[in-house]
Amino acid sequence: MTNLDHGKFTRMTTVFHSLLAMDVFFLFFTGYAIMFNDELWWMLTLMGGSGSVAALHRVFGVGLLALVTFWVLMMVTTDTGRSNFRELMPTPEDAKAFVQDIQFVLGNAEERHPNARQFAGGTADEIPLLSYVGKGVIFIFAAELTMLSVSGLLIWSKAGLMQYFATQTAAMAFVVFHGLLGVVMIMGVMFHIFEHGFHPAFFPVETKAFIPRSMIPEDHEDDTEGTGIEQLELSPAWASATNLAGAATVIGIVSVMVASIYDTGFPVSTELIIGGGPSNLLLTVGVNMGVLVLFLGMVLSVYGNLVRIRWEQRMQEEADAESVDVETAD
Amino acid sequence: MSNPTAESGASSYSGTVVAVNAVISVVVALGLVWVVNGFNVFYERLDRVSPTVEGGAIGSAFVKGNEMELLVFMVEAIHVIDVIAGLGILLIMFIHWGAFRRIAGRMRQPGDSRAVTDGGEAADEGGETQ
Ligand code: HEM
Ligand code: HEM
Repeated sequence: MTNLDHGKFTRMTTVFHSLLAMDVFFLFFTGYAIMFNDELWWMLTLMGGSGSVAALHRVFGVGLLALVTFWVLMMVTTDTGRSNFRELMPTPEDAKAFVQDIQFVLGNAEERHPNARQFAGGTADEIPLLSYVGKGVIFIFAAELTMLSVSGLLIWSKAGLMQYFATQTAAMAFVVFHGLLGVVMIMGVMFHIFEHGFHPAFFPVETKAFIPRSMIPEDHEDDTEGTGIEQLELSPAWASATNLAGAATVIGIVSVMVASIYDTGFPVSTELIIGGGPSNLLLTVGVNMGVLVLFLGMVLSVYGNLVRIRWEQRMQEEADAESVDVETAD
Repeated sequence: MSNPTAESGASSYSGTVVAVNAVISVVVALGLVWVVNGFNVFYERLDRVSPTVEGGAIGSAFVKGNEMELLVFMVEAIHVIDVIAGLGILLIMFIHWGAFRRIAGRMRQPGDSRAVTDGGEAADEGGETQ
């Protein structure tokens, strides 16, 4: 298991991360099957048509309401939550880490800044709980999920919403607004999948979000300089897998962004049009590629949990073997 | 000998708190949905009376909704936010792609003959050549 680095999260956080990811993936699949039905008609059909997709979306919506409430409660009611909250505040180091990351790519810096480093290795002491990207991800996802929950509740009963505006078109505006809000989230998650699936030291999945830190041994003779990444062997599949996934992620992000500009629904057209904008073959392929990236993310999230289970078993076996040793020695 | 683990249990979440908060969350979620479900009117009253009260004809409500400035602004603003966020995400995406390639270049390349135990525990200073 070469991709085991220092742990970060408690078991509560790792379980929460997996549940949140599953729920959000299903919200994506059901929500965007409706909004991008031009490009994702097959998903709509596969899930039983628009009525059943909308119903499924609401079920996962309730799930998200529960998850968001739970997270807020944990942050507020526990000491660990309150102290971790302080760790998500951005610092000047985070800005430096961003600049240094650009320099690193351009070849002007030798290392990534500790606030950017995903692979800690021998430098674990310098690494904060969250990287600058991690902090950004938390802020953006938290704001997005809150606004999506509020707007989702608002459009739950469209007739109820209409009574305040006395027109159906106003209710459409809120539905469209809700869908467009999620576009930031869907693009962000595509990047998140690339970031944590294709780091060369962790490929095919960074297990930090899946294996709680209490299960990761922390003793090692720490006499190497730096992270010690030179000692790890690159997976033979990394280069081609990363080129493929990177291209799919970029195409997915661009296509979803472009589709969101065309596939609007407000102001509501006064003429009957089939589809919502140029039904473009390229866009169809691109948006579907984005969905493929999300599918990959879902698979990786499940795989991360499989790795955790295997690791748990191995730790258990080692513990058993040790206790047998102790018994025979007695 | 027990397993040396990182701060095992030192700063973790108590199981009771997790359980209580989980139950509260589910109740809150279902409660919210229950509230918005009651947030409803009889649709005929809505469609027929409201526009005529304003003095318009059937269909004028449709146009009126399309022209509400707040709503038009709201939707346009979120379109702009989507594009700005998309460009930002693409930038950070390319930064990571580039950084990963550089980091990969520093690792031992596949098929390198120098052997290292899986996980690298016993491999100090790059392991031994076989
Ligand atoms: C990650 C979170 C979410 C995303 C990405 C998302 C996305 C979407 C999208 C794209 C649509 C289709 C919009 C359109 O027709 O143009 C939609 C519709 C809807 N969403 Fe969400 N949503 C999320 C969370 C929620 C939550 C938490 C709720 C409820 C509390 C909710 C309730 C609804 C409802 C009621 C509809 C309308 C469905 C219908 O036509 O009956 N959504 N959502
Ligand atoms: C919709 C799905 C997902 C959501 C909403 C989500 C959300 C988050 C959030 C908010 C964080 C903490 C901030 C950060 O460190 O970036 C995080 C961390 C993490 N996520 Fe996800 N995630 C999702 C899917 C995934 C998937 C599919 C993977 C695996 C490929 C993954 C791997 C990770 C890892 C490894 C971390 C820890 C990063 C660190 O070292 O701080 N996530 N996730």
